[in-house]
Amino acid sequence: MIVIRNASARRILRMVLPFVLIPAIVALGIFAVESQYHTLVSFLVAVCSILLFLCGFEKKKIGSRRLVIVAVMIALSVVGRMFPIIKPVTAFAVLSGMFLGSEAGFLVGSFSALISNFYFGQGPWTPFQMLAWGLIGFFAGILAFPLKRSRLFLYFYGILAAVLFSLLMDVWSAVWLAGEFLPSLYVAKLLTSLPHTALYAVSNVIFLILFAKPFSEKLGRIKIKYGV
Amino acid sequence: MEILTIENLSFYYPMNQTPTLKNLSFSVEEGEFLTVCGATGSGKSTLLRLLKKELAPIGERKGEILLEGSPIAEVNSASEIGYVMQHPEQQIVTDKVWHELAFGLENRNLPQNEIRRRVAEMASYFGMEDLFFRDTSSLSGGQKQLLNLASVMVMNPKILLLDEPTAQLDPIAASDFIATLHKLHREFSLTVILIEHRLEEVMPLSDRLLILENGELFAFEPPKEAVKKLENRADLLLSMPCAVRVSHALSGNGKKEVLPLTVREGREWIRRTYRNKIQTLSEEMLPKRKKVLEWDRVFFRYEKNGADILSNLCFSVCEGECFCILGGNGAGKSTMLGVTSGLLKPYSGTVRLFGKKLKEYTNGSLYKQNLAYLPQDVTTVFLRNTVRDEFEDSDVSLADFPYDFSSLLEKHPYDLSGGERQLVALAKILAAEPKILLLDEPTKGLDAYAKAEIIAVLHALKEKNVTVIAVTHDTEFSAEIADRVALFFRGELISSDTPKKFFSENRFYTTPVSRMTRGYYENTVTVSEAVSLCLANGEKGEKE
Amino acid sequence: MTHLNPIVLFFYFAAAAGISMFSMNPVIQIFSLAGALSFFFLRNAGKRTGMHLPLFLLALLAALLNPLFQHNGATVLFVLNGNPVTKEACIYGAVTALMLLATLYWFRSFSELMTSDKILYLFGRISPKIALLLSMAMRYIPLFGAQLKKTAQTQKAMGYFKEDNAMDRIRGYMRVFSVTVTWALESGIVTADSMEARGYGEGKRSSFAVFRFYRKDGFYLMLIGALFLISVYGLATEAVAFQYYPTFGAQAPSFISTLTYIAYIMLAFLPTAAEAGEKIKWKYLQSKI
Repeated sequence: MIVIRNASARRILRMVLPFVLIPAIVALGIFAVESQYHTLVSFLVAVCSILLFLCGFEKKKIGSRRLVIVAVMIALSVVGRMFPIIKPVTAFAVLSGMFLGSEAGFLVGSFSALISNFYFGQGPWTPFQMLAWGLIGFFAGILAFPLKRSRLFLYFYGILAAVLFSLLMDVWSAVWLAGEFLPSLYVAKLLTSLPHTALYAVSNVIFLILFAKPFSEKLGRIKIKYGV
Repeated sequence: MEILTIENLSFYYPMNQTPTLKNLSFSVEEGEFLTVCGATGSGKSTLLRLLKKELAPIGERKGEILLEGSPIAEVNSASEIGYVMQHPEQQIVTDKVWHELAFGLENRNLPQNEIRRRVAEMASYFGMEDLFFRDTSSLSGGQKQLLNLASVMVMNPKILLLDEPTAQLDPIAASDFIATLHKLHREFSLTVILIEHRLEEVMPLSDRLLILENGELFAFEPPKEAVKKLENRADLLLSMPCAVRVSHALSGNGKKEVLPLTVREGREWIRRTYRNKIQTLSEEMLPKRKKVLEWDRVFFRYEKNGADILSNLCFSVCEGECFCILGGNGAGKSTMLGVTSGLLKPYSGTVRLFGKKLKEYTNGSLYKQNLAYLPQDVTTVFLRNTVRDEFEDSDVSLADFPYDFSSLLEKHPYDLSGGERQLVALAKILAAEPKILLLDEPTKGLDAYAKAEIIAVLHALKEKNVTVIAVTHDTEFSAEIADRVALFFRGELISSDTPKKFFSENRFYTTPVSRMTRGYYENTVTVSEAVSLCLANGEKGEKE
Repeated sequence: MTHLNPIVLFFYFAAAAGISMFSMNPVIQIFSLAGALSFFFLRNAGKRTGMHLPLFLLALLAALLNPLFQHNGATVLFVLNGNPVTKEACIYGAVTALMLLATLYWFRSFSELMTSDKILYLFGRISPKIALLLSMAMRYIPLFGAQLKKTAQTQKAMGYFKEDNAMDRIRGYMRVFSVTVTWALESGIVTADSMEARGYGEGKRSSFAVFRFYRKDGFYLMLIGALFLISVYGLATEAVAFQYYPTFGAQAPSFISTLTYIAYIMLAFLPTAAEAGEKIKWKYLQSKI
């Protein structure tokens, strides 16, 4: 195991990893590998990037209250996903990332996907959902400062998250349905899922409008009362 | 041998000038069973939490706490000191029973085989083999609390601290829990420190009683001695077993004899001391009034192929009446309230409110002015951040409530004590000025003081001709408040009668006073009734 | 199969479905699908298993998509909107459809067999902390669900939801959800206390599991491993390679290709055989009693 001693270097590496490395591997997998192996490569990339993240998490010391709050957030978004009308997974991942850090954002996003699929059905899409939602939460953590300062940016991020989700999930559905990556099919898939993406973006924004303020209040209350 | 020594312990919460605990000094013997009692805010929970360093509240602490001679901060408190809290649900950490049992041992990084052995051992001692692979969420409240106890005991603690562990349980589960606790204490001479307000059962097991008052030690001695100090302390007596209350109310000043603690001792004491020429007090008959709620052959089940939860339920409640329903768990009492409040729909039969079928009340017209429902878990009543906000939409001014809670207005509903929360929730329900009030376990988890307050409120409502239907396990409460009491069994009402008749004819579902006076006096179910009868009869050996 | 250690189970599904996803070999896809279907229906014989039609429709869609978007291939069948539809792309689409269907059924059995506690166990092997986090989340889900329902009912009985006003109802639901969030965070603090009281966070923790590794597990693990390696070897050496573009063609059969197919057939039908064996054994034991 490579240990990087410099804390800031470690931080930068942590940020660079998902930003650069994962898209690079995806691109490599799509253009450099023989088309028959696209399915496998994209699947492995998703699984490996999640595992990579989890191993990093294991190394960290995490207090009981933080752990509990992350578990609470996961459970709430799963329960929310099962309740009629409400589909809050993205919003919860974003809020967790914003207020509890990018790590928490990733965990809430990805494990909400994993656990809710115990109820909705697991499939080869599970790792992709985990990765997509995890990254949405992760980036929200990195962008925490501007997100907290500007409400407008937060809503914009909600829309962006819906687009990002669609971009990532459609890679998988396109590859999976065709057995190889065909750019024209990918574009077609993106276009057909446009109404769905738009709906998703709207619901994200509504959720963020509804929950951003109360959530910071609620967490603030917990922080004052119990010192998390 | 002393296991726990407390020297000059004082504690101040942040930004609080008055100490919550004042200069406490006492020590606990190894293998002792110590019961702690006192009013809300007397500092019992603070004291107990200070003994467990992981849970110690933030604030300024003076004085020493020593476990077997070494300061508490240096002790491996996770395994040496076990702690069980009030709420069975929220203490559970994991999703499976086996995992919950193993949790503490995992934290100590023990090897698989040792965990496997100790978990298996504890599961069989507590009779949990059948539950081993179950989801923790599927257990009943009593099972959950036993699981919490077991998963603390698996760490093999020297001393066990329990903060009102039975407050959220029904009487049968509570007795089970206390019996298990007693067994642990007896068989392993485990040191137990227990905060409890079900003193009726715990008192006989306790070696000593610690009574706290405003953070000071009011009494710290064996129960028999401790209760002698309670003379003229009506406030402290309120939480004592009924034998103590009756004997104190009667013998009043200066009697130096040994006072009774239990039902059995109380029974002997009354027979020894008082005559029984007058056997019963006269009972007022209720005037006939008009029926406001009628159930006509109501059947209900949750699932199409499930069993009937309510079967052929027929009864009626009159205007201004207080009707209490007792019965075991799963008898369908809460379901009955659900059907009455229109939340659940019966598959056959009708419920009529003011002569009109429930179905005909559309669009929420059933609620607000007509009917209000206070659930068992009153936290579900609150939606806002302060008590004041909760009453924002109501048109009723705060002065119109039968009690005053203006000091609580700025607090968060979740920060209130159990009793305060119950009163505020009740106030929120009453704000709509309902004519009929449905209460589900209104005294659950409350101490004697809060209970007395609820009783006073309900009496005031009765004056205003509000009809109350309460489902409860609390026999003493229903004896105080009810006009009629009924027993629910397997989805049906088995019998209903005035509390005097009901409780004096029952053998098990009855009040401690009734058990105490049975056969000597008749129809005596509350402390005040027993006291007036004794006084009316006079002591033996006195001139008539 | 159900009683095997989760690691073995997981490895099996990864191997069987993985090879199927990995190779575009029509023979392997056929056996993979046959194995997946036979195991699924043997386990669920006589039970209502829910939807099948949508899965087959999805496969049909996949079979159609490829020829529409992939225009490589030498044999043009016809021209649609100016784009050629080729025979090779059609074959490729059909193989994809088989693969899709096989994977879906493998995952359905996977979902049935790998219950949440087994998944948790697997995560526990990688990271005890993740396993704990998942376990806690799983524990909260029914708790919060129940609280949400209770609160909604209480609020309804307080006259909050009007039946004929949709906006009113949605607003009511949102408030209820919001207060459940507060309640959940609040009750989480009690859980955290309970964790600390039992020594969480004082140092390294272990992860206890009720699943043990028996000799039978070892046997299965070795068997699956061997079959997996043979299949992968065959695929890697291209002894069983298929060519799609520009023209469809296969390698001539050889010793290695036969061995590879046999290995994969055994792998694909292993759970069916194990399950059937168990059923027969039970029948036999019952008849003896």
